[in-house]
Amino acid sequence: MTPSKSSKFPFTWQAGFTALMFGFMYLPIVVLAVFSFNESPYSAGWKGFTWKWYEKFFSDSRILSALADSLTIAFLAVAIAAVIGTLMAVGLSRYRFPGKSLYQGVAFLPLIIPDISIAVATLVFLASIAIPLSGGLIQLSLGTVVAAHVVFCISYIALVVSTRLGNINPNLEEAALDLGATPVQAFVKVLLPELAPAIISGCLLAFVLSMDDFLISSFTAGGGTNTLPMEIFSRIRTGVKPDINALSVVLILASGLIFGAAEYIRYRSEQKRMSKP
Amino acid sequence: MSSPASTSPSESTVSKDLATPRWLEPFALLGPAGIWLGLMLVIPALLIFELSLVPGIRPGEVVNPSGLENYFQIFREDVYRQVVWRSLGFALGTTAICLALGFPVAYFIAQMVPKKWRNLVLVGFVLPLWTSSLLRSYAWITILRPTGVLNSFLTSLGLPALDILNRPPAVFIGMSYSLLPYMVLILYASLEKLDRRLLEAAADLGANPLQSFWKVTVPQSLPGIAAGCLLVFITGLGDFIDPELLGGASSMTMARLIYNQFLGVTRNWGFGSALSMMIVLAVSLAIALLLKYGDRSSANL
Amino acid sequence: MSSRFVSRYSRRQFLKTSLAALSSTSLAGCGWTLAEVRSDRPQTSNSNELRIYTWSNYIDETLLKEFTAQTGVRVIADTYDSNDVMLATFQAGKGVAYSVVYPSDYAIAKMLDLKLLAALDKSRISGLENILGKFQNSIYDPGNRHHVPVSWGTTGLIYNSEKLNPAPEDWDYLWQNRNTLSRKMTLLSEPREVLGASLRAQGFSYNTTNPAELRKAYEKLADLKPAIATFTTDAWRDQLLAGDLLLAMGYSIDGVLVAQENPNMKYVVPKSGSSLWTDAMVIPKTAPNPEAAYAWINYMLQPAVAAQVTERLFFATPNQAAFDQLSTDLRDNQALFPPDSVVERCENLKPLPQKSEELIEKYWTKLTSS
Repeated sequence: MTPSKSSKFPFTWQAGFTALMFGFMYLPIVVLAVFSFNESPYSAGWKGFTWKWYEKFFSDSRILSALADSLTIAFLAVAIAAVIGTLMAVGLSRYRFPGKSLYQGVAFLPLIIPDISIAVATLVFLASIAIPLSGGLIQLSLGTVVAAHVVFCISYIALVVSTRLGNINPNLEEAALDLGATPVQAFVKVLLPELAPAIISGCLLAFVLSMDDFLISSFTAGGGTNTLPMEIFSRIRTGVKPDINALSVVLILASGLIFGAAEYIRYRSEQKRMSKP
Repeated sequence: MSSPASTSPSESTVSKDLATPRWLEPFALLGPAGIWLGLMLVIPALLIFELSLVPGIRPGEVVNPSGLENYFQIFREDVYRQVVWRSLGFALGTTAICLALGFPVAYFIAQMVPKKWRNLVLVGFVLPLWTSSLLRSYAWITILRPTGVLNSFLTSLGLPALDILNRPPAVFIGMSYSLLPYMVLILYASLEKLDRRLLEAAADLGANPLQSFWKVTVPQSLPGIAAGCLLVFITGLGDFIDPELLGGASSMTMARLIYNQFLGVTRNWGFGSALSMMIVLAVSLAIALLLKYGDRSSANL
Repeated sequence: MSSRFVSRYSRRQFLKTSLAALSSTSLAGCGWTLAEVRSDRPQTSNSNELRIYTWSNYIDETLLKEFTAQTGVRVIADTYDSNDVMLATFQAGKGVAYSVVYPSDYAIAKMLDLKLLAALDKSRISGLENILGKFQNSIYDPGNRHHVPVSWGTTGLIYNSEKLNPAPEDWDYLWQNRNTLSRKMTLLSEPREVLGASLRAQGFSYNTTNPAELRKAYEKLADLKPAIATFTTDAWRDQLLAGDLLLAMGYSIDGVLVAQENPNMKYVVPKSGSSLWTDAMVIPKTAPNPEAAYAWINYMLQPAVAAQVTERLFFATPNQAAFDQLSTDLRDNQALFPPDSVVERCENLKPLPQKSEELIEKYWTKLTSS
């Protein structure tokens, strides 16, 4: 879609420039897609069309098991973070207590601290406190990656939920309580449905970030846990064959689909909300 | 990150609660996250700080903090100073590039695209963000290689080939590519709210487009500019993937150096911790500067 | 107003408590031990699964599948590109899942120092008698009590003979032709090898502990640095084949591998000498599945398997029985099995005292960071 072609868009230099930047954003993706069908593994020139990289990719057990690891980690971390992150956001909106700003600061710290610093700190903690204290019971493994991912997932989910909390009507829950509902009932029946869209979009964001994380995973994973980004990184380091291109095309299509679905859900829920009196 | 406390019903809700003990609720809500964050974030951060005070420590040795030697080392030796400056340079350069490229795009989408298309165009622009950041970097390797897509294109036009990969320009390209969508998103949020009447008024008063841009548009979008620059700067400062994959032997940054101290060739955990503290310090400094000198409203973003 | 008061109060409170906590931990003096690798409680794992940690060119799908077919044990292989990276993995406590590792000679010494290796039960290994005599007793692990040699070779230069004329013969070539080679050459990402090459180019030993000689080696490399594209153990292979590079420093087995794909790529051992390395299989103390580890070692020692692997992946096998089964072509391949005249001018990398190790690390960081 080039905006400049439509008669509705006035052609200005900004339009041209934006079109150029669209090209910039999509150039690498197009290149990956084109080369995933290229016969030659090395050359930048076109040597003929082939499906063989896709065949290779779908029969590559390493990539598939890395994908499984990544998905497991992302699902677990997001599920845990969704629960405690939502609770935290609600708690923070409700109470005032000494040390609250400190609590808040810590809770949103992962949004600003670089990944490398978090990764390093978690590794040191796990290697010198958690493992010795547990007598070797805790080992760097898939579980430790999940524990580390939960930290930043909490922050992102709580951030999105807090924004929504600021916009909803506080009287609803109070009304429920007045009508004799227990706090848990009021929370589950009244507050949670109101927050659901925010929780879902927060989870989606956290899920994508968890799937894409390289540094924190590679510092907290034990040998044997191999996430997709770790596998891709080591392949880029050891020299890649175009089956990585095939992988990227598949991943891009998948994330495009997820994104489309998420946008659709959001759009529908907004329409519903608008149609309500 | 403004506190939502002011908008909450707070005490009145709690006092109505008779079924469960009053004190239990806050603990149930804030406890789990508090424990998790305390264990996996606060204690590790304190550990790293302590570790940064031990010069030259390797795994298996006893931690005996003895002073700021690791920090002095960063500033005493030319090569580490160089690494710090290079990291700052990459981050600042990327911020400038993203601002220069992102502003016109955000302005166009926010002000010139018809309203019903706006969201679609914006989403289309930031869609590549949803792909793996490693694969995006890898794609740039394919493009920038000496015999890659770019050079094949250039030589077919009879132009001389460019030597970009494994040099700083490749890092700038990769980082700007990764961070441009963030800049556009934030600038868009701020430019969308731009009061057009002021622009019209400026035009009525005889200002040329350039004048009204500098006198009206820029000041109004300043909070967005500041927030976008801050985000790009701090993300760029901590970026590991782009310098590592695109920079080759020429572009050691702080993040790469930290990685090498822990999982790479040299294993000096104390020095790595000090470097990590330095990055955190630099990020905090950038945020503090924004809070102090930036517009109040930008702090809320 | 009140919330601001609360936050200010809490901030001060936090500073106080955290300072107190910090000073109590840091002034306690005794301190804690940083990431000690513990071997007292090995991780137990699925007995049908074996994880090995090796160099990327020592394994392929076929090898893993054939082992599984023979033993029923599934193998998962992770790879590293430098002995130091492998050591870092173990020191950070990330190595507990591996039952077989492939360190090179001086790294075996380091692992022994760190008490990471289990003594091998020779009664459970068969076929050791086929290993050539000169690999039977290493200086760093007397009597080969902890390792089984699996491959050996030299370090040298792999170059594009079509584009480089005259061909490189010695390390000095890199400095003399740096304009032609500028940003079209890579060096290994292994500190001992790279500094060693520079030492050797100046007539010093790979194993020098003389700080002045090490400094000279660093300075000579720093001089070459702007012409180096990157430091890598593996990534150069595709780049050399694609024509992005003209020359790479690499191991002999990689040289043979690349020459198979494109005969224009040639491997040369520099005249003034190079390093002679042996890679071996070891079992870490923390190995979760020693059973399968012994099975793997026995499998790799089978002459037929060792010969097949040599034909396919270009191991230089130290296994005489396997060597006898190789095609004459491969047996006469001087890059893979260097003649004695070449071996004589090469040196083994020996373990160095801590001080020299630290100096090498310092120079390496300087070299890669500038």
